[in-house]
Amino acid sequence: MKKLLPLLLVTLLPATASAYEIERNFAGSAQLDYLAVPTSVNGRNFTFDGFTTELAVKLAVDFTENFSANVKICYGCHGFETDMAYVDMRVADQLNFRVGRMNPAFGDFLLRHDPANHRANSKPLPYDMGRMLRRNEWNMSIVPAPYVDNGLEVNGTQWFGDDAQLDYAGYVVSGFKGNNDAFDFDFVQSRSGSLYYVDNNSEPAVGGRAALTLNFTDYVNGTFGLSGMYGHYDPAADLEYLILGADVYLRFDALVIRGEYLFRKTEFAVGSNPDERFRYEFDPKKNFFTKDGFYIEAEYPITDYLEVFGRLDGMRRKGNVLASSALRSTSAILRETLGVNIVVQRGLRIKLSGEYWDFSDFANEVAIHTGVTANF
Amino acid sequence: MTTDKRFLVALAALALVACVTGRSTLRGGLPEERVAKYPPNVQEAYRLFAARCSRCHTLSRPLNAQIDDFSHWVAYVERMRHHAGSGISKADGEKILVFLKHYLEEENPSQRTAPDSAGGASGSEAAP
Repeated sequence: MKKLLPLLLVTLLPATASAYEIERNFAGSAQLDYLAVPTSVNGRNFTFDGFTTELAVKLAVDFTENFSANVKICYGCHGFETDMAYVDMRVADQLNFRVGRMNPAFGDFLLRHDPANHRANSKPLPYDMGRMLRRNEWNMSIVPAPYVDNGLEVNGTQWFGDDAQLDYAGYVVSGFKGNNDAFDFDFVQSRSGSLYYVDNNSEPAVGGRAALTLNFTDYVNGTFGLSGMYGHYDPAADLEYLILGADVYLRFDALVIRGEYLFRKTEFAVGSNPDERFRYEFDPKKNFFTKDGFYIEAEYPITDYLEVFGRLDGMRRKGNVLASSALRSTSAILRETLGVNIVVQRGLRIKLSGEYWDFSDFANEVAIHTGVTANF
Repeated sequence: MTTDKRFLVALAALALVACVTGRSTLRGGLPEERVAKYPPNVQEAYRLFAARCSRCHTLSRPLNAQIDDFSHWVAYVERMRHHAGSGISKADGEKILVFLKHYLEEENPSQRTAPDSAGGASGSEAAP
């Protein structure tokens, strides 16, 4: 890749570069959210309740018509993180090279993971991160968003007339990380500076996405996408994972409906004494667990200043568990969310939502979010 | 009632509200009374802008952007057009620029095009 980069730069920097005025765009967002779990005396035992803040600033620079750079810095529960730091080199609409630290194309939600870009205070369960209830027991979601990684992505878009758009993306990235004796991903390793932001097993993970967007009319359209990712997550490159996803976006004038389904198969280390390591009798043919989940949500602006949304999402885990786990061989969560966005003024919203969590292995809970989101 | 049924009822209620109120594409954008004062082609362009550009972000992002040069909008719409699933065809991009040109001139009167020049604020050929 080191040899390829200078070649691409030379190829893509056109002679007109000097005549092109450099475009810069600075944007950002902030969300302060308060999570209360009134059904529990101490929600802190199983989630990050109370206040959380998410800030993001992004600088996009277009050096030429086909060469640009993007840097996005976020501040959240982990402190400051680099969400994006990449360059785009566009040969044609159908062929763009993205190199650096990025959100690899997977699913629909990653496009709008910024809290200013989605109506709910929380993320859909298959993408939830630290703010899901029972996050430790579940080791978070399927693909906690934003998924940030280092690598190379090739993507492009092809229009067929004015009504059909076909997108694709393929990438090689470091991939998820874990230890040699891991039972699941260790998401901290993906963001821990003490471990370096590098690959842990000298083997890239691969993935891709394809999506078809159809414009039925100016105000009715939809996108249908498929995504996949494959790699090994342990330093010895023995434990493999496979993640698949399907997504749909539908707009009927102001009514927007979105849905996604994600599936992850994750192999785990058996260890020297499986009888002690696992809760259930170990079957050598089943050295993996599966986690799948979905969400379907609808949003609609009632007036210029009031938008309502509803969401049903769920997640399920199947497979053996560690002896110390609170989960069973089949565990599930189902969540219902209803909420409103009050548009105080353009760029400033109050987000209110209530969530009912239906756990298979724990007491059901109610969660209430109150947030303020601003973008500029 | 099961969770699935409760959600489907809520979704049906939302769809009913959508049909009854018949609101066009708002999504945190400009107040309807302001849009109603625009020339018909700009109103149409605004509705397309609202439908396409709220796919990934709220409309306040472009509407609050500190852009005072129309060529920047041309570059930006082109950039957004390349986003996966944007649904913004070349023709859509040109139409969206009709609104953005009008909006730019409305917000920055110094940018207003002379009445006799081509591609004025409400001109349908404002896009590149």
